[in-house]
Amino acid sequence: MKKLTRASQRDEHTLAGAYAMDAISAPDRERFERHLTGCQECAREITSLREATALLGTAAAEPLPASLKERVMAAAAVTRQQPPADEAITEPHTRSTRASTRARAAARVGPWLRSLTWPGRLALATGGAAAAAVLAVAIVFGLANGSMQQQLDQAQTSSQQIAVVLTAHDAVMTTGPVTGGGTATIVMSHARHALVFTAQGLRTLPASRGYELWLIGPAGTRPVGMLPAGSHGMTGPVIASGLRQGDHLALTDEPAAGSAHPTTPMMLYVPL
Amino acid sequence: MTPYTPGEPAPRDRPAARTGIASSQDLAAQIVLVARGDAAAFDAVFEQLGPAVFGVVKRVIRDPAQSEEVTQEVLLEVWRSASKFDAGRGSATAWVMTLAHRRAVDRVRSVQAESERERRVATADIPFDEVIEAVESSLDRERVRRCLNSLTEVQRESVTLAYYRGYTYGQVASLLGVPTGTVKTRMRDALIRLRDCLGVAE
Repeated sequence: MKKLTRASQRDEHTLAGAYAMDAISAPDRERFERHLTGCQECAREITSLREATALLGTAAAEPLPASLKERVMAAAAVTRQQPPADEAITEPHTRSTRASTRARAAARVGPWLRSLTWPGRLALATGGAAAAAVLAVAIVFGLANGSMQQQLDQAQTSSQQIAVVLTAHDAVMTTGPVTGGGTATIVMSHARHALVFTAQGLRTLPASRGYELWLIGPAGTRPVGMLPAGSHGMTGPVIASGLRQGDHLALTDEPAAGSAHPTTPMMLYVPL
Repeated sequence: MTPYTPGEPAPRDRPAARTGIASSQDLAAQIVLVARGDAAAFDAVFEQLGPAVFGVVKRVIRDPAQSEEVTQEVLLEVWRSASKFDAGRGSATAWVMTLAHRRAVDRVRSVQAESERERRVATADIPFDEVIEAVESSLDRERVRRCLNSLTEVQRESVTLAYYRGYTYGQVASLLGVPTGTVKTRMRDALIRLRDCLGVAE
């Protein structure tokens, strides 16, 4: 099939099959890859053998577990892609998050969050932290992208608290429609007795009005705060801490300065 | 570049809907779009190769929870490093499946002590049987089954133990009781034969 000039090279090349199937130890793999860089024909053979092993792989296809796609898509939305040039930073693992990903996050996270269902809580068992981090980035971006410096300041001061909730081991993300338009997303941690609220596409209110978030339960009705308005239809985030047993989360339209008690019909009333 | 409507999995106007090399052109085009941050293209790639990634990862790793985790890592890696895909160096399917298989193998090797794995496999069935049993209607599977059957027994066992179980050639050699040199040669011969049988273009 090919003329190899040296016996050692021939010996080396018998590893081609094992290499193409990853049936090779790490040191052997490295050695073989060095061999490949010096042998174009060998590299071509590996390429063709990989086509065969790929079909061994596709023949083993199995239906994907439910929710795996949502998790991957949400993570992709906030995962920076490597540039085509080879000066890419090589990291061993793909992990979501960090400020540099915000711009991409904003462009894509919306549709995926909306694809989750409202009454059905999405308990993100193993992927919880990752999914929450996804949301964290979306939220922080939504805010940072807002026009007012005040929002930026608020983001900075509350981002630590928000991160605590989003990365809690029991963080649960829920999303659903708001009466009158828009989608709300809640990430809640029972362990932290806190939640992070954000919304998208809420109806625009006159300057004199604002959205106010409430905790309502046996412990009484407590105002959480006004939702900071962001651009691109993103609202929030607001952190609500001190959650009590039996609390509901509610949203109303109030004077811009806020109210002590809800004065308009609730456009959101969710048991926590 | 194949035009398609964002959100649609892939053009279905030719018999390429199944996974495999027949749809490789579409897939390659989609990977190129993924590299540009096209979420719809990523969705399409996911639809086409997600089950294959999960299938191969699960065969190697066995544990369902870990398999899901690695499947997520692999698919996210496809998103992240799509710009590294070079259509001149193989099909999109081969690129993705190589990522998947290697990641799965790396996982089992880092997690389990080799001696423990060997002890466990010594009592296990030859995985090829499972492959055969799992074979249903898919044309790819039919083709793969036929081609695996065309191999000699040692070739077939070497390939299935290495690929579907993630063993090194050294481990395969000790499992089959043959010298490592023999296994290396058989593996290469087997893959060349498989390649030719499957009609995979070089």
